Amino acid sequence: MIALGLEGSANKIGIGLISHPSTPSKPPIILANLRHTYVSPPGEGFLPKDTALHHRAWVVRLIKQAVRQAGVRVEDIDVICYTKGPGMGAPLQSVALAARTLALLWGKPMVGVNHCVGHIEMGRSITRALNPVVLYVSGGNTQVIAYSSQRYRIFGETLDIAIGNCIDRFARTLLIPNDPFPGYNVEQLAKHGRNLVDLPYTVKGMDASFSGILAAADVLAAGIGEDLDEGKRLRTEEGDLVTREDLCFSLQETVFAMLVEITERAMAHVGSTQVLVVGGVGSNERLQQMMGIMARDRGGSVFATDERFCIDNGIMIAHAGLLEYETGVVTKFEDTSCTQRFRTDEVYVGWRE
Amino acid sequence: MATPPPPHASQPDHILPPPFTHTPLTVLTQGAEALVYRTTFLTPSTPVALKYRPPKPYRHPVLDKRLTKARLLAEARVLVKCRKEGVKVPGVLGGDVENGWLALEWVEGRTVRVVLDEWVERGGENGEGENGEGVGVKEGEEELWDLMRRVGRAVARLHDIGVCHGDLTTTADTVSPQSSPASQPTGHELDGDIIIIDFGLATQTVGEEERAVDLYVLERAFAATHPAAEPLFREVLRVYGESFKGAKVVLKRLEDVRLRGRKRSMLG
Amino acid sequence: MAAVQTFYLPHYPTYPIHVCMFKDVSNAAHLRSQLLEANPEFDFAFLDATMILSPNHLLSASFLALHAHLTSRSKTRTPHSELVFRLHPNNNIGESYRKFGLSDSTTHIVAVKLSLSPSVTAEAVSRHLSQHIEGTSVEIGEGGEGMGMWADREKISKIYKLDVTTDRSGKKGRKEKVVNGDVGREGDEVKEMEMVILGIMTTKGS
Repeated sequence: MIALGLEGSANKIGIGLISHPSTPSKPPIILANLRHTYVSPPGEGFLPKDTALHHRAWVVRLIKQAVRQAGVRVEDIDVICYTKGPGMGAPLQSVALAARTLALLWGKPMVGVNHCVGHIEMGRSITRALNPVVLYVSGGNTQVIAYSSQRYRIFGETLDIAIGNCIDRFARTLLIPNDPFPGYNVEQLAKHGRNLVDLPYTVKGMDASFSGILAAADVLAAGIGEDLDEGKRLRTEEGDLVTREDLCFSLQETVFAMLVEITERAMAHVGSTQVLVVGGVGSNERLQQMMGIMARDRGGSVFATDERFCIDNGIMIAHAGLLEYETGVVTKFEDTSCTQRFRTDEVYVGWRE
Repeated sequence: MATPPPPHASQPDHILPPPFTHTPLTVLTQGAEALVYRTTFLTPSTPVALKYRPPKPYRHPVLDKRLTKARLLAEARVLVKCRKEGVKVPGVLGGDVENGWLALEWVEGRTVRVVLDEWVERGGENGEGENGEGVGVKEGEEELWDLMRRVGRAVARLHDIGVCHGDLTTTADTVSPQSSPASQPTGHELDGDIIIIDFGLATQTVGEEERAVDLYVLERAFAATHPAAEPLFREVLRVYGESFKGAKVVLKRLEDVRLRGRKRSMLG
Repeated sequence: MAAVQTFYLPHYPTYPIHVCMFKDVSNAAHLRSQLLEANPEFDFAFLDATMILSPNHLLSASFLALHAHLTSRSKTRTPHSELVFRLHPNNNIGESYRKFGLSDSTTHIVAVKLSLSPSVTAEAVSRHLSQHIEGTSVEIGEGGEGMGMWADREKISKIYKLDVTTDRSGKKGRKEKVVNGDVGREGDEVKEMEMVILGIMTTKGS
């Protein structure tokens, strides 16, 4: 069976085509996986209105290109899957609208997919991790998830802003470019950081809070300007000047330690040794490395995907939607709306044991 | 609530910090954060639970030191506060927070979890009798109800002095036998003080949200034992509710927490 | 000869702790002056016996001092000054000596010698103290029995702020004195005090 997937919950529009072979033991075949990112200027975030405009401008082009690249005919497509939520309202709507139009035009059934479940299922499929604890980290989400009786249950999550949002806004404060994406540039700068600057570290049980770090970042950023008087500039205990690289390094060391800690606690709680990292922030190599050290310490291992699948994409929506479609579930046309709030544990996972 | 798995067999033993480096000790329990050993402290006849937070190799060493120290210190301070205010918790006999350890008073006794499990087993036998599956007060169960009241009072006392436990499960409550149990005939094995343990996630707060989450976590732990434990927990709550001034508000908040399942609703 | 009781801390068995108690001491002023001059012959911890609640109270301070010394984190000059310092709930060394050390009028003394080298034997300690302390040696039991018999619990409570509790509204106030004539309860009360004090000593300053 073949599914077309449309994703647009944040600043990326992704179109994917996937085929599930009739033998369930065979892995899914990725026929096409296209994406275009709306990049805002340095120091600015992406606004819902502009992002929706971007998605509208690209959606037809990408679908045409994906279908052509996949080499399938419209008749071959069994189902159209789209992101129902969670995410930003206007971008979600623009893509849902495209999906509905196509469904009517081609006479196809639809499946509305939970974005987070899309990430989880794609990660499991690519890495073959059977029953991992999942850390889902992106611009809009921070969740520690484990599967139990037909639900992806949230064991821990952010108490305020998402980790990706925290990194993006931190980058904005330091005027770090948004191209290709802020987290990538922070990661590159962090590689040259040497000094660890104290930042708030807030973990409560299996939950974490990131908003305090932003407030601290503003103060720190004000102390590293090269135009400042020598005497006013921020220094380490050893007297070295604190650099932008140091701040990126400190940010990563602090927030990733928080993520690894809450993940470890969930693993201890459910007795799992596998961890799967999904979502855009999951492509960060330092996070993967730290997670790997923790998992090894517990006698297990970490699974991660590269940026093709980590970062929002259409293929994961196609994949998760098709899994659901194969259990006989379709979303009625009148229910093919979208929603900004859509918790991972609201989805009935009928396709797993 | 899943039971934590036993320590992983293939894992190397941790090298303990001084002065325990050369004492061969066996791990009793291993959580995500801390290892617990049994040893003696100050005198050879004083048993203690040695709680050690080993360094986390994934963490920057400076950050690791800072966190370990801050957390052990916070835990020790909560315990000291409780003892000072007369709430039954393990005392702090010593420690070195810079090197990641505390020596805590050894608590004898059974956890409430064990008591409940045994009760569930017994209940199974009773179920065959003519009483059916009724969970009313049965002969010989009055002491179990009394135990629930003491649990309710213990949690209320803790909250009343401004401490929230943060991980209040049925394994965090221990029934300590009274000092002279030897002379007691059997049937009184549930007598004794309720001692609350495991304060690794505790905070000093009078927030009703934190208090309600404490109760919610405990409720879930009761429910995980057996559905029949529900009326027992109602008794815990009833007594909690009349044990201190702020309790009513907490019980109200507990209803909200139940509805949303601990987690707040949030944007995607 | 002064009666010495030697204690061995678990995990630090190679560093015995020699302890003597004296009453009716008449030369506290002299002992104090020797300490002030840092006379190496008087490298002891001389404590006001009314400030020592129980054997564990003293052993805890001894452990903390020894441990700080052996892990190179002492805050004071010698292991013995560290012991006096570790008894106090705050980080003020002078204040520690004023509260737990000797004054010119001290009559009841606990003298402690941390044995950091094998040459420091119980006999040597006994001989030296008999020679220099003008007072009556009092025997300590093998398990520390007798230590704490001169404890002034009110004074001790005050210095560790054991009588201050927080009520519901977060206001601090004096704890109501629980009047209890039951003699059996007295041991419990000391035990409770001791447990809180050990915790306070462990968490101080850091």
